[in-house]
Amino acid sequence: MKQVIQTATRREQKVVTRDRLVNAAMLLFARKGIVNTTTADVAKSIRMSHGTVFLHFPKRDDLVIAVIDEFGRRLSAEFRRAFEHDLGLRAVLQAHLRVLEEFEPFYSRLVTEAPMLPAKVRSTLMLLHAAVSYELFSALERERKAGRARKIERPLLFNTWIGLVHHYLVNRDVFATGASVIAERRETLVNHFMTLVKP
Amino acid sequence: MAEKCPACGSCGMPMERPEDFALGDVTRPYCRHCTDARGELLPFDQVLATNARFYVESQGVTPAAADAMARAMLADMPAWRDRQ
Repeated sequence: MKQVIQTATRREQKVVTRDRLVNAAMLLFARKGIVNTTTADVAKSIRMSHGTVFLHFPKRDDLVIAVIDEFGRRLSAEFRRAFEHDLGLRAVLQAHLRVLEEFEPFYSRLVTEAPMLPAKVRSTLMLLHAAVSYELFSALERERKAGRARKIERPLLFNTWIGLVHHYLVNRDVFATGASVIAERRETLVNHFMTLVKP
Repeated sequence: MAEKCPACGSCGMPMERPEDFALGDVTRPYCRHCTDARGELLPFDQVLATNARFYVESQGVTPAAADAMARAMLADMPAWRDRQ
């Protein structure tokens, strides 16, 4: 029995340590940039040994991907929650922006540095985009069948939305007066996009 | 941290619902997209093509870029990491 408890505690401890690392990495990536942050920097920021970081994340890319995965899980949960109440395109756009706001400092760095990041990291981000594209297009098709939207090809629908949002995120220093450009521009962005898709 | 769910050992897709798993069986390591009607893992080239198509259809990237991104994603997956 004692052995079982010890094993469970060790497993829980491992999860706690991993979560601490992911949170610390997210903060540091946001502050210093992803390219400029090393695993040693992350370890130092939470007074953890570099060896412990290495145990959980042998490469810096693994840590970046873990943060992106965390973003992806939140996004997926938020879409699911949105669908429980409303299947409309506006609800999908708002769910997307809620998670972007939550991860805004990190995500802005991620999209700014994306072309410079290793293939696996960039591919992970593009895969998340693919998931958002699927949700947007499904919602648009539902609106179209109800006569509330026009036909738009899936890649262009997504690229128009993400291009708009990313422009504000990458240049958030000139578009926001406070900490979050998404918080300040949410309604404008959603309303504008809904106007664009009207029949 | 958000609740974690298992991921497909072939493509990495999160498997949140039973229907995401091969044959709807939550003990299976791979998702329904990476397996055939008997629940067996599909050949690498087929999984690669499916994943590459996902990038093309969702964002309109070039087939070459999609192929490279799909390869990058699959390279470290348990199902393919020892592939020569």
